[in-house]
Amino acid sequence: MDWQVNCGLHLVIQTSSLPEKNKVEFKLHKETPSFPGRLLQHDLERNYSSRQGDHINLVSSSMPSFPILQRSSEEKILYSDRLTLERQKLTVCPIIDGEEHLRLLNFQHNFITRIQNISNLQRLIFLDLYDNQIEEISGLSTLRSLRVLLLGKNRIKKISNLENLKSLDVLDLHGNQISKIENVSHLCDLRVLNLARNLLSHVDNLNGLDSLTELNLRHNQITFVRDVDNLPCLQRLFLSFNNISTFESVCCLADSTSLSDITFDGNPIAQESWYKHTILQNMMQLRQLDMKRITEEERRMASVIAKKEEEKKRESQKQSLLKEKKRLTINNVARKWDLQQHRVTSIAANQDRKDSDSPSQDPGQVDGSTISAFPEETGSLDSALGNALQGLSVTDTHLVEVDGDTLSLYGSGALESLDRNWSVQTAGMVTTVSFTFIEFDEIVQVLPKLKIKFPNSLHLKFKETNLVMLQQFNALAQLRRIDQLTIDPQGNPVVSFTLWKYYVLFRLSHFSMQKINGTEVTQNDMIMAERLFGILAHVASSELPQYRLISILGDARKKQFRYLLETKGKKPGIVSEENNDSKRLVGENTNRATLNYTTRDFYNEKLEEIKEKKKFCKMYIEDLVKEATEINMKNEALQKLWPQMFIELVRDAVIEIRNKSSYMKLCLQQITDQK
Amino acid sequence: MATERAGTWLPEAGKLELGSCCGPRMLSPERLALTDYEYLAQRHVLTYMEDAVCQLLENKEDISQYGIARFFTEYFNSVCQGTHVLFREFSFIQATPHNRASFLRAFWRCFRTVGKNGDLLTMKEYHCLLQLLCPDFPLELTQKAARIVLMDDAMDCLMSFSDFLFAFQIQFYYSEFLESVAAIYQDLLSGKNPNTVIVPTSSSGQHRQRPALGEASMLEGVEASLFYQCLENLCDRHKYSCPPPALVKEVLSNVQRLTFYGFLVALSKHHGINQALGALPDKGDLMHDPAMDEELERLLAQVPGLVNSVTASSEASCLPSRTPPRVGSPWRPLHHARKVDAESDGSTEETDESET
Repeated sequence: MDWQVNCGLHLVIQTSSLPEKNKVEFKLHKETPSFPGRLLQHDLERNYSSRQGDHINLVSSSMPSFPILQRSSEEKILYSDRLTLERQKLTVCPIIDGEEHLRLLNFQHNFITRIQNISNLQRLIFLDLYDNQIEEISGLSTLRSLRVLLLGKNRIKKISNLENLKSLDVLDLHGNQISKIENVSHLCDLRVLNLARNLLSHVDNLNGLDSLTELNLRHNQITFVRDVDNLPCLQRLFLSFNNISTFESVCCLADSTSLSDITFDGNPIAQESWYKHTILQNMMQLRQLDMKRITEEERRMASVIAKKEEEKKRESQKQSLLKEKKRLTINNVARKWDLQQHRVTSIAANQDRKDSDSPSQDPGQVDGSTISAFPEETGSLDSALGNALQGLSVTDTHLVEVDGDTLSLYGSGALESLDRNWSVQTAGMVTTVSFTFIEFDEIVQVLPKLKIKFPNSLHLKFKETNLVMLQQFNALAQLRRIDQLTIDPQGNPVVSFTLWKYYVLFRLSHFSMQKINGTEVTQNDMIMAERLFGILAHVASSELPQYRLISILGDARKKQFRYLLETKGKKPGIVSEENNDSKRLVGENTNRATLNYTTRDFYNEKLEEIKEKKKFCKMYIEDLVKEATEINMKNEALQKLWPQMFIELVRDAVIEIRNKSSYMKLCLQQITDQK
Repeated sequence: MATERAGTWLPEAGKLELGSCCGPRMLSPERLALTDYEYLAQRHVLTYMEDAVCQLLENKEDISQYGIARFFTEYFNSVCQGTHVLFREFSFIQATPHNRASFLRAFWRCFRTVGKNGDLLTMKEYHCLLQLLCPDFPLELTQKAARIVLMDDAMDCLMSFSDFLFAFQIQFYYSEFLESVAAIYQDLLSGKNPNTVIVPTSSSGQHRQRPALGEASMLEGVEASLFYQCLENLCDRHKYSCPPPALVKEVLSNVQRLTFYGFLVALSKHHGINQALGALPDKGDLMHDPAMDEELERLLAQVPGLVNSVTASSEASCLPSRTPPRVGSPWRPLHHARKVDAESDGSTEETDESET
């Protein structure tokens, strides 16, 4: 006898002793794809029933409950190597006597619960126990020649006791309750393994099955597959109707070089739009997918789509990397800001801000250690930047980002970017400028630059900028135009004031703003603003002494002038424009222009200067007043003395001329003396 | 020459101070013992002279364009009007009682509308308003004023404009006096008598320790009559401004005992003291300022076309047109004297132009 197994898995069992009937052939067909396991069974069944009658006598043995089987000698001669006990309502295996030469034994469709009494059939090659009630694989340890073991539709929970069946070629365990693949690694000759309709949740432990060509795992609950790449001969793998949802969970399939036929239908993965081309792209060796031949065209399409997909993925990865980087930088800036604020707030005693910020500090600290991993990637990333995020520059302390029409600045270092040479197009496109984690006083200093570099910026956003006073809004009046203002309450205590909106409207009325913090400005708002603060402006403009008016307005102009001098060398073209602006500034709103804002540092500087001058003035006035009081005192003293002096003088004169003749003589004498 | 000019201004500046200071002390014999210099210093004339020169130095380029005499005229006129404190540094604003009163008045005039609108504001917001007029106004003073209104608790509470303003007036105008009062009060509480007058109730410190039951609030603080004795003493020797002792007596005569903040509240609510101070109208008239209301109506009328009309009109009356006539116009002081009374600016403006 010899076994011939061809590619289509025709299993031919041929015995040489009988010319025709001895040839048993059964096919493991693939024509009906959904139930190959069943099909195998039906084939076998058909073969047997068509060729064998049921001429069997079951004689109850002396031993209790085990019937003893005996066949007539004719039958023995006719079917010397096979025995079919199909549909005999057997509940136990009968004792089979004198049939040691049996090669094929069929117990299909009985009620056998335990495999026993066959250990003497050592030449058995084919054992069919399909559709019984076996709960455990046992009693097979002596059947060393067994090649085909069919245990479908039983109650087996565990693969076990197959240790001695080293020649096993086909193992059918479909329709059982097996939840795990195990104890099969020694079956190095096994070519077909059917585990369909079991309770498997995953596939692994497949090492050692070096001859396995077909693995049927339909109708389980498999979520992932491993070790398939360790099966060197596997050609067909059936995974239909499982629970596979990602390609990653079956990615080992891509590493198998022998696999040519695979099914995934009935899995969640098969519903995905990327399913087909992903599988095709990753498993070039495949010839059939879900029972359909793969055409060259399909393969080409798949590779194109996959390439696109790959690119998209890389792009999105890059994006997310950038986003992550951005997030980290912002966190970093936020942490710095917090530290700085804590220093400041310890003076200002701004309790609530501290409270609200303390939770956000922890992630920041964690990020601090990871951010160092990014810088080396910056180079390659920047070169591949898309249009959506152009000109993104990241450093640890600040972040500048242009996204569409929005320029976002994080951290005070970002303000330096305004010095950069922005392209006219980019600069022209920017209509929204957002400041985060920057001291407002620092922003004030760059407002003139902002006005020149981003002439179209209409919407300013402030978040975490330490806006604490109404007067700080005065600084915004110097801009060219603002349509919208957004002051985030976070880090800007001024927003908690009831009057802040009105003050903004009042002070920036020359911009005729449209929105404040996203809310449309109404006529009523404007009237209310004027009602609340109009008098302040009136008092400021009409009651200030002239010299003060000039000096206050002058300060604003001087500031402009100073900036002019700075930029003159660089950009002569802009200077003339700037001149117009400063003229406009003065003309714009004189009665409000007196309400301006000088940053704290600048103000303190000014106070210091004033102190010096005061010292001098004090001394000067002191001297003057002393001099004046002295003169006054002398004057008073003189006034006091004068009447007495006058009387004395008169008295002297009278005494002198009392004796007229002697006086005359004296006078004459004097005249003669002179001559 | 400079001496002469300074001299010519002395009488006026002096007069101003005499007018705005409380009467009785002027005639006290010790005044006659002062030297001229001391007298000028005490009357704050020197302060203004110094400041005038300082301002002159500050803006010498601008001022030299329209004349030094013109500048001094304007300066002292604005001192008379009380507009000299607008947007000035805090050290100057608090330098003299007149400056303090002027600042109080300016604050009232500028933000009366806020009160009129009925908005209740927090201490911080009032502070912001103060800073609009004086950028370096210290938070501490505002806090102290708020404490008078809120009785030391819940500093984030909202206050009405008038409550805050009157409390602020007392705190700001009499701040040095109140510091001394606080010290005296503490001494009294702890049983020490700053005047070393022994009185039977000198054990008031122990009273304070008692739990506040029923009438215990009566026993809180210090005894009014004793307190008054100390304050009278203080007023006599205090060199800074104090409320008129007679009025303090009136405040204290109504109660037997009182706490420090109780005293401050009583002071801030006393209309006699407000009158004596002279910066603010009576509480009933606090929202009343017809001249300004008229001005406001005029401003409001311009709101719809705000950008166009205001710009145009303000440009017309802007600096360049105003400045030239003033140069070398020696008769200006007379007009300004008139301006002091009638606080309407626009009308004077036109007369000026027609004359020159």
